[in-house]
Amino acid sequence: MKDKELSDLTGACVKCGTCRTVCTLYPERKAEISVARGKIALLDAARKGRDDDLDAVQEALSDCLLCGRCERACPNQVLVEEIIMKGRADIADRIGISAWKQVLFGRVMPSPGKRDAARAAAAAAQKLLAKKIPTGSGLHYRFPDKYGLSGRTLPELPGKGFIASLGPDEARNGEAMLFVGCVFDHVFPQVGRAAYKSMKASGMEVAVFRDAACCGLPAMVSGDRTSALRCVEENVRRLRAAEPRRIVFPCGSCLLMFKRNLFSLIPEGHPLHAEAVWVSGRCEDYAGFILASGVVSRLPDPPEDEAAGEIGYHDPCHLSGTLGKGSEAREVLRRTVGRSFAEMEGADLCCGYGGTFNIRDYSTSARIGENKVSLAAKGGTAVIATACSGCILQMRDMAARTDPALRVVHIAELVFRALSRR
Amino acid sequence: MDERAIAALRGIYGERLKTSLEDRICYSYDATGQEFLPDGVSFPVSADEIRRTVLLANEHRFPVVPRGAGTGFSGGSLPVRGGVVLSTERMDRILSIDTENLVAVVEPGVVTETLKEEVKKKGLFYPPDPASLKFCTIGGNLAECAGGMCAVKYGVTRDYVLGLEAVLGTGEFVRTGVYTVKGVVGYDLTRMLVGSEGTLGIITKATLRLIPHPESAATLLAFFRAGEEAARAVAGIVEARIIPCAMELMDRTAIECVRAIADLSVPEGTGCALLIEVDGPAESVSREADRVEAACSRFGATEVRRAADAEGREKLWALRRSISPAIRQVNPVKINEDIVVPRSRLPEMYAFLSELAARKGLRIVNFGHAGDGNIHVNIMISGRDEDERRRAEGAVEEIFRKTVDLGGTISGEHGVGIAKAPFLEMEVGPLGVSVMKRLKACFDPNNILNPGKIFLSEPAVRP
Repeated sequence: MKDKELSDLTGACVKCGTCRTVCTLYPERKAEISVARGKIALLDAARKGRDDDLDAVQEALSDCLLCGRCERACPNQVLVEEIIMKGRADIADRIGISAWKQVLFGRVMPSPGKRDAARAAAAAAQKLLAKKIPTGSGLHYRFPDKYGLSGRTLPELPGKGFIASLGPDEARNGEAMLFVGCVFDHVFPQVGRAAYKSMKASGMEVAVFRDAACCGLPAMVSGDRTSALRCVEENVRRLRAAEPRRIVFPCGSCLLMFKRNLFSLIPEGHPLHAEAVWVSGRCEDYAGFILASGVVSRLPDPPEDEAAGEIGYHDPCHLSGTLGKGSEAREVLRRTVGRSFAEMEGADLCCGYGGTFNIRDYSTSARIGENKVSLAAKGGTAVIATACSGCILQMRDMAARTDPALRVVHIAELVFRALSRR
Repeated sequence: MDERAIAALRGIYGERLKTSLEDRICYSYDATGQEFLPDGVSFPVSADEIRRTVLLANEHRFPVVPRGAGTGFSGGSLPVRGGVVLSTERMDRILSIDTENLVAVVEPGVVTETLKEEVKKKGLFYPPDPASLKFCTIGGNLAECAGGMCAVKYGVTRDYVLGLEAVLGTGEFVRTGVYTVKGVVGYDLTRMLVGSEGTLGIITKATLRLIPHPESAATLLAFFRAGEEAARAVAGIVEARIIPCAMELMDRTAIECVRAIADLSVPEGTGCALLIEVDGPAESVSREADRVEAACSRFGATEVRRAADAEGREKLWALRRSISPAIRQVNPVKINEDIVVPRSRLPEMYAFLSELAARKGLRIVNFGHAGDGNIHVNIMISGRDEDERRRAEGAVEEIFRKTVDLGGTISGEHGVGIAKAPFLEMEVGPLGVSVMKRLKACFDPNNILNPGKIFLSEPAVRP
């Protein structure tokens, strides 16, 4: 393990226990091993050779949603997210990562073409294996328990992704560039489209970043730094060459990758560092763009007859928490839907998705997610709007499980709908 | 611990007994930064499981170390002799809040703030407020007799305990105390257990006294040029017959370490600040706040600020609660003491501490509950310099001696644990130690409970 870097980071933890108060997982586990303080102690033990069962340490490190709440509460500003990701990567360097992740992160995610093929294959498999169920957010498929999928539901995968549906000359050039992200391209192309169309309402030329690699976050959080690095290097090179004035992200997790994690992979001294700084400095969140580019002023007045307070905003941990962009989306919502927007119960609670966490421990992920959406629904929220692909995947699944009438949408869908009313 | 003992424990706890190295590492530390690996960690959910654990421990002769949230500063929850850590964090129910008798009955794993919030909903107040209140537990608070900011007016944990249920070192289950305001039948076993650091019994249930919640509060922040000035202001305010519910002192370094968190602007030349809160009926609060402000100015405050609303107050308090972890910025290793001197001797103590830091060439950060004479003296060292460490150890001894000379005590609220065990006799004398050891033998004849704490050279678990 890369001792120095990690010990510098973990050394800042004084084991005070503040992380216990905010940990999303602690109420589920009720044990120190779930909280930052415990994981930091474990990493130190592994680093010093006091615990050489690296599989067990990796297992403990994997049991984390990376919601970052501990990091934000920490009076010593210990960089917990960085520590967990570095720890996972250092251990993965020693013991490797699972085969399916190697294929997915190493081969499929960096390549736009392979992702298209993978989506088509998944869409076909979904129709064969899963059962259709209607929900407030559209058709979902429920997978049977027997495939190890624990009854989870997934939205109907489209035959064609958003980027694939663009005309050959459409959205090729523009001062603003949309980084749509894998999920909003392949799983929810309507979000990609809504983001694109609503950005165009600014009057700016909008380009869509067609040959994007995956942002790299799924590989990064799984400790696969090699694949993550490949993704970000590809993206940095291509984005630098495209020379957009601004790069807009409808997904908070992709944005986190470009704003923060990028520099853990491409630190000072890396040949691409200057390019990475250039690119990162132009990246912004969707809501921020909508506010700054004047789209909001083109919105019609919200209709009077809509139910007051039925639309809430869910704070994605990465976007509202780590990046501190919670107020922009709310402002967009207020301007878009007027009094239909109201703060919902538990807005800043983590949805429990955690990317690969949802795959490794679906039942815990689902308990946290069900709590989240039930709390919102009980408080009178009928539509949860948000701005992160992982949160939408999770909360749609949770709504399908607990309250199919509850809708989960991206703020761009609401903005686009309001603009079309004009 | 041998395998038979582990197997027997498994019989009680099943999956709730953890013996993997990873789980044990996660229960090897507390806020002292020291680590001692236990042989196992158990998560009881009932008093009976705890009773059976202690009976087993007597049979197989292994240590049992009770633990709340592991936030202590004296090592009270560290398994220094191995054995099983008994974590009470899953016994976290508030069993009742009796608004007629003003009593709450709780399990030990209830987080202090949770209790405070729940009783507040009923207009009631459980005053003890250690800085770790958001995560520490009532069980740990009782075992260490935790204090906090409001001790100056409201007292400490022991002042709010009416009765307890506990498992003694023998495995016997006792009920102590009362459910009433008064009660003088026999020895006060309740107070015997409170502050006993888990060496006499493991608390399984507590009956706590509540009071009406103060109607309102005002929080002020006063800046001074020197610590002695602030210390004189503290004594002066009390002499003016005002008892604030908190008077927290922060020295220059402490302020520097946390100012970024609260976005705090600090007047030029500030050497010390006092955070003062007064509470009570709304009309008297604003009058008292005025008088506190006047008193501060009289004793040389360069500026006094008053929080405008609840949010502003919480911001000031967050600032105060962050000091302890945040002063790591000064130097990585913290030698953390919590001496108390009579309020009137505070200026003397502060003068002594500044002189000591200069003489020994050490960085000492002072903050704490000046209102009750309790100062958190933190000697911050690099941890890499042997000579510096020796100077720091010498300084600790001098501080303790001065404290006792001034009529104070060497620990106001952290407890003895392992950190202050070498100095126990300095304060209580040889006879005091002897009586305490005799009591320990009576409650825990086989030295099962939290061995290695309070007393310096104490035999291991008796064979």
